[in-house]
Amino acid sequence: MLKYVNTGIVFQEIPDEVTLAINISNCPCRCPGCHSHYLWDDIGLPLTSAALDDFVDQYGDDITCIAFMGGDGDPKGVSQLAQYMHKEHPQFKVAWYSGKTVISRAVNKADFDYIKIGPYIKHLGPLKEPTTNQRMYRKTADGDFEDITSRFWRK
Amino acid sequence: MEIKNFTITKRDGTKDQFSLDKIMNAIAKAFESVDEPADLGVISKILAHLDIHNDITVEDIQNQVEEALMREGFFKVAKSFILYRQEHTEDRETLQKMQFLSEYMESVNAATGSKYDANANVEHKNIATLIGELPKSNFIRLNRRLLTDRIKKMYGKQLADEYIDKLTHHFIYKNDETSLANYCASITMYPWLIGGTVAIGGNSTAPTNLKSFAGGFVNMVFMVSSMLSGACATPEFLMYMNYFIGKEWGLDYWKRADEQADLSLKKRSIDKVITDYFEQIVYTLNQPTGARNYQAVFWNIAYYDKYYFQSIFGDFYFPDGSKPDWDGLSWLQKRFMKWFNHERTKTLLTFPVETMALLTDEDGNCKDKEWGDFTAEMYSEGHSFFTYMSANADSLSSCCRLRNEITDNGFSYTLGAGGVSTGSKSVLTINLNRCIQYAVNHKMPYLQYLAEVIDLCHKVQLAYNENLKELQEHGMLPLFDAGYINIGRQYLTIGINGLVEAAEFMGLKITPNDDYLHFVQGILGLIEKYNKQYRTKDVMFNCEMIPAENVGVKHAKWDREDGYFVPRDCYNSYFYVVEDDSLTILDKFRLHGAPYIEHLTGGSALHMNLEEHLSKEQYLKLLQVAAKEGCNYFTFNIPNTVCNECGHIDKRYLKECPECKSKNIDYMTRIIGYLKRVSNFSQARQEEAARRFYATA
Repeated sequence: MLKYVNTGIVFQEIPDEVTLAINISNCPCRCPGCHSHYLWDDIGLPLTSAALDDFVDQYGDDITCIAFMGGDGDPKGVSQLAQYMHKEHPQFKVAWYSGKTVISRAVNKADFDYIKIGPYIKHLGPLKEPTTNQRMYRKTADGDFEDITSRFWRK
Repeated sequence: MEIKNFTITKRDGTKDQFSLDKIMNAIAKAFESVDEPADLGVISKILAHLDIHNDITVEDIQNQVEEALMREGFFKVAKSFILYRQEHTEDRETLQKMQFLSEYMESVNAATGSKYDANANVEHKNIATLIGELPKSNFIRLNRRLLTDRIKKMYGKQLADEYIDKLTHHFIYKNDETSLANYCASITMYPWLIGGTVAIGGNSTAPTNLKSFAGGFVNMVFMVSSMLSGACATPEFLMYMNYFIGKEWGLDYWKRADEQADLSLKKRSIDKVITDYFEQIVYTLNQPTGARNYQAVFWNIAYYDKYYFQSIFGDFYFPDGSKPDWDGLSWLQKRFMKWFNHERTKTLLTFPVETMALLTDEDGNCKDKEWGDFTAEMYSEGHSFFTYMSANADSLSSCCRLRNEITDNGFSYTLGAGGVSTGSKSVLTINLNRCIQYAVNHKMPYLQYLAEVIDLCHKVQLAYNENLKELQEHGMLPLFDAGYINIGRQYLTIGINGLVEAAEFMGLKITPNDDYLHFVQGILGLIEKYNKQYRTKDVMFNCEMIPAENVGVKHAKWDREDGYFVPRDCYNSYFYVVEDDSLTILDKFRLHGAPYIEHLTGGSALHMNLEEHLSKEQYLKLLQVAAKEGCNYFTFNIPNTVCNECGHIDKRYLKECPECKSKNIDYMTRIIGYLKRVSNFSQARQEEAARRFYATA
């Protein structure tokens, strides 16, 4: 089962959104140089549809987006939660930060508005670096995903 | 008197062996100075009166000698002895000043060197700032005397003593005791528009064109500021400027801003002439000022959306009978903000402090969409300014954070626009952390004890007000007489400091929770109760969370020395703990939302500290969050990077200079209300700034 350790309101992770980031534990990626070592173990509280309802109650319209940070141990579970969000709380965008290089076939991409893929590779750097291997995609009006990684490089 | 091995306490607190010879010598000298014979017998008689105990102070021995001389009937000798002591006291004061002078010269910057009222609004320390520092202790003494004399007359000696006791034991703090002038004001420039500066002691006549407006405005702000100890806000600045530009090139000048405006070889466009005037005014007003101890004048301006403009200037008439033109002003406001934001990448400009006034609807959206969007756009471009949001255009913050209810939007031919005038005559601050701990330690209900302190503060403020009235009656306050400031719209302010620390002492968690809210409302509600109780048709009180640039550090230090619980080295002016990284941005808006600030009638400012700039869409969302939570006054603070090597200024918060890669960098930030180099703040404030949590966003 998916578990999360903590949450935060973030701005840089998803462009133009005010995002509630949910940090999911039991991460199988184990990237060398990982900044979130504390998410490697199977710890935290169950991340269920009821937990999502609680977040929505707590933050209401103050946020515009919910992001699942990790969860590669159970991609189907993440996909189902995303589907639940869109169905029950359609006012929010849904994002996923995955550490895999390809999106699992168990996942229905249409349930997400933003998807980031790619492990953290130290010498290539994070999303902010133009040399990064990671990619951020945004769903367009016709359901395709466009690469918006360059949004992180501007300034 | 029995001679034993006593020690005495010297003036600097150190101990020394008691020496009878020294006392006999001093007495003999006093006799000598008035040619009075003194043999051992006479001196022994005097010595017999003395009651010497261990660790007695030098002062005490001398007091006893004075009395003994008089008891023995040597009145002339006693007088000489008293005068001799006075001379030495004065000598010691001069010596102290000389010591301060050399310490000041050695200190790292002007704010750290300042003994009283450290202020980062001084870039460099030099002979001019030193001249400003030296008389400060005399001003404090004079102000205390003026105030206690008045309190005695109005309420009796006991209350005057009580005031000094609470002051010297740091339960309360009198702000700006080093100045004689009343505190701050948001002025109307209408009297200047009609009559120039003659009424306030100047010699310039009313402005007649753009050139005389720009030059005269600067002089007028200098003059007004030299009669205030704090800020001077000119909320009509751009509205008047728009009027004079219109007179030059027609009301639709902004549609033709690219047209050539002068016949010089430079062939400047209308836009260039306007921005040249911006440059002249802004750069001049950011200069150190002679009359203010080499501080720049503390200058504030305001921007309005269409609704605020209509509410405040809807009934306004210029001397030629015309009304302000919104389309031109809207363009000019935007032009000024864009220009100022860009200019700040060239030079570190602190002033004007800008406030954007926006009206919102029930859903928290800006009613004037164009100006809501523009506000978010300017934040996303890295501009640093304050925003005031309200669901009714019935209040405004035009003077830093000072908020006022607009009860009178009417235009008057003597006072101009009514809604813009406000100000604080005087601020008296309660150290909540000490008061509450004192009450709890002495088993008193803390609200009951606070009520006594609050009541005292109101009486002291009324006494101050009487002194101010006396100054005015003698023609010493031309700003009031000439109508720049409306005395009826000026507040007496009760400041608060140490609220968060007091709550922590009570075991409360500093998060949005009911217990903390109840605590905050209990205290602020009590102050408001007294503010209303003491209000008359002549005096108004408000309550403000003071920025506490220097007293925040002092309170923490004093309280710690006296054994109180002090969780950090500086009491800040926020409802949250600055170094707490567990609170989200939304939590901070909530903690500065309507339920918390409800009774802060004088206002408070949320500084939303962020590490990185956000996008326009994100700022728009946060404006909406702020409006919904009822957080009516805030700014986003992202430290700007200044390279100490190549001088490059960057709007981002960086660890190294993007131009020359140097790591020798400084930051421009709002530690308190105004944007300044971190290195200009006092040492203690710099340390506090380094501990602050900037949300990684």
